[in-house]
Amino acid sequence: MSGAVLQAEGLSKRYGRRMALSDCTLSIPPGHVVGLVGPNGAGKTTLLQIAVGMLGPTSGTMEVLGGRPAAGPTQLAKVGFVAQETPTYAGLSIADHLRFGAHTNPRWDQQLADDRIAKLGLDPSQKAGKLSGGQRAQLALTLAIAKRPELLILDEPVASLDPLARREFLQSLMGFIADHGASVILSSHLVSDLERVCDYLIVLVASRVRVAGEVEDLLATHYRITGARRDPADLPAGTEVIEDSHTDRQSTLIVRSAVPIDDPTLAVEQITLEDLVLAYMTQASLSTRPALESTR
Amino acid sequence: MTWFTWRQFRTPAWIAAVALAAVAVVLVIMGHSLADQWAASGAATCHADCGNAIAAFLEQVTSGANGVVFQVAVVLVYAVPPLIGMFWGAPLIARELEAGTHRLAWNQSVTRTRWLATKLTIVGTASAATTGLLSWAVTASAHHIDSTKMPRITPLIYGARGIVPIGYALFAFALGVTMGMLIRRTVPAMAATLGVYVVAVGSMPLWIRGRLVPARHTTTPLDITRLDELLISDSGARMRVVSGTTSGNGWVLANNTITTTGDVFTGPANPQYCGQDHGPRACIDWVGSLGLRQDLSYQPASHFWSLQWAETGIFLAAAVLLVGFCFWWTRRRLT
Repeated sequence: MSGAVLQAEGLSKRYGRRMALSDCTLSIPPGHVVGLVGPNGAGKTTLLQIAVGMLGPTSGTMEVLGGRPAAGPTQLAKVGFVAQETPTYAGLSIADHLRFGAHTNPRWDQQLADDRIAKLGLDPSQKAGKLSGGQRAQLALTLAIAKRPELLILDEPVASLDPLARREFLQSLMGFIADHGASVILSSHLVSDLERVCDYLIVLVASRVRVAGEVEDLLATHYRITGARRDPADLPAGTEVIEDSHTDRQSTLIVRSAVPIDDPTLAVEQITLEDLVLAYMTQASLSTRPALESTR
Repeated sequence: MTWFTWRQFRTPAWIAAVALAAVAVVLVIMGHSLADQWAASGAATCHADCGNAIAAFLEQVTSGANGVVFQVAVVLVYAVPPLIGMFWGAPLIARELEAGTHRLAWNQSVTRTRWLATKLTIVGTASAATTGLLSWAVTASAHHIDSTKMPRITPLIYGARGIVPIGYALFAFALGVTMGMLIRRTVPAMAATLGVYVVAVGSMPLWIRGRLVPARHTTTPLDITRLDELLISDSGARMRVVSGTTSGNGWVLANNTITTTGDVFTGPANPQYCGQDHGPRACIDWVGSLGLRQDLSYQPASHFWSLQWAETGIFLAAAVLLVGFCFWWTRRRLT
């Protein structure tokens, strides 16, 4: 508990009859770049909006840096947020946006903001409405960074960017992390966006947290095993099957196991982060399609 | 936050200031011209029986440019509050919600409450100031006309004089903000603001204003030399008699002709005096012999300021309630 960047306890959010988040319990240690990954509509935006206080939960609690989200100016000053679609004021110039940041944030770093805008080759007098999607995202990131937050939260910051802008954005984000060492949470529906920047991963599918942990640990405890066809239940204790597929003779399983699997009849291999996420997404989609699949 | 709100609002504020200055210039010119005409007609110096002088003054006003400016000024004072509601109130929050920029604003180190409070204070003050200045300028420059042609307590003029326009403007502004917050789209919020505003302000002279301050009530013998109406149905079974009122009556709420028993006089007409074969004179004299009385209920001109304060109070209270709701909604429900 102590020092957790984000601590969620039984967090749920309901929109009418639809559950956007169900019973999420999370504790993210400080100093990580956290990737929040899941398909569209999984609840990523809801989770992040609760973390910045844009939304209140239906039940459960959420603490960010030890405080209630958006509880007051002090809490707001500690958390930077780049919202989905990176909204900016179309009629105002880049300089106006930076002055806005300077007027409303006690720890504002004007030098940092000016340097970033100059480095991006942007003209401060240009109206935000005239910027490209990538430039707008960079402006929104600059505002969030120059605020000098302890935690930076980005909701699908690169979803609407072309590959080049995407790479540039992630590079400047990495640059910030390297320079300032703040914790970062960013969401995406693509693992490939997150793979290069994250060292901590949360997989959120169909309103539930499926797995969360440091990338290194996750990769060290997940395996793909291939062998003669067998019943998934017939595996050593402590092995959890995430995904299984079978042909007449062969079974391919993706499993989670805290200890190395030592079985000469099986071919065991490491899996990539992308495979791991896909396995959890497949598992989630099967569990939400009950009757047909489970009677097979 | 103050700087930023001003930055967002400065273009509309300048437009309003320039427009107000232009209107002020026209009103000053009209005021001087009216003063000249007032003096030239002799109304300024007459002591008794000023009727002719005033008639000459009004004749000169209505036939010249001043009459047009006067009417446009009345329309303008009525139009400004709903325009403020639509163009300053409705977009204030709705445009942020539409563009998603509230998610940018709410993640600076400023609470939503302060964000809303700053916006409401700056734009609300500008709304009150704009309407107050306009109303004052119109009231001051048109007082010769108000004092003679049509008392300013009559509904048509009343809403464009004194402090009531400020109440209207603040109500319209708060209404616009609320609508924008609830509807979350600028244009529909503007339409809703206008609709609710027209109903609210329109209902005042129709049902509410006349009761804000107890009306004055007089019952006097019917003066047949001042009859406004004398109607007789074809059969002669029903009659309607209405006696005229004076400008001293101010805003007349009810004007009934009643019988000695206190009922409204409805006939029947006496065929011996009234009908096709007789001249109107005989019928009028007969009506005069019935002992009828004129029952008047009216708001005299002296009630102008008490009515203005009462009505302004009502709209300010409504504005305060709306603003309170906006704060609650922003804190609890707005996302």
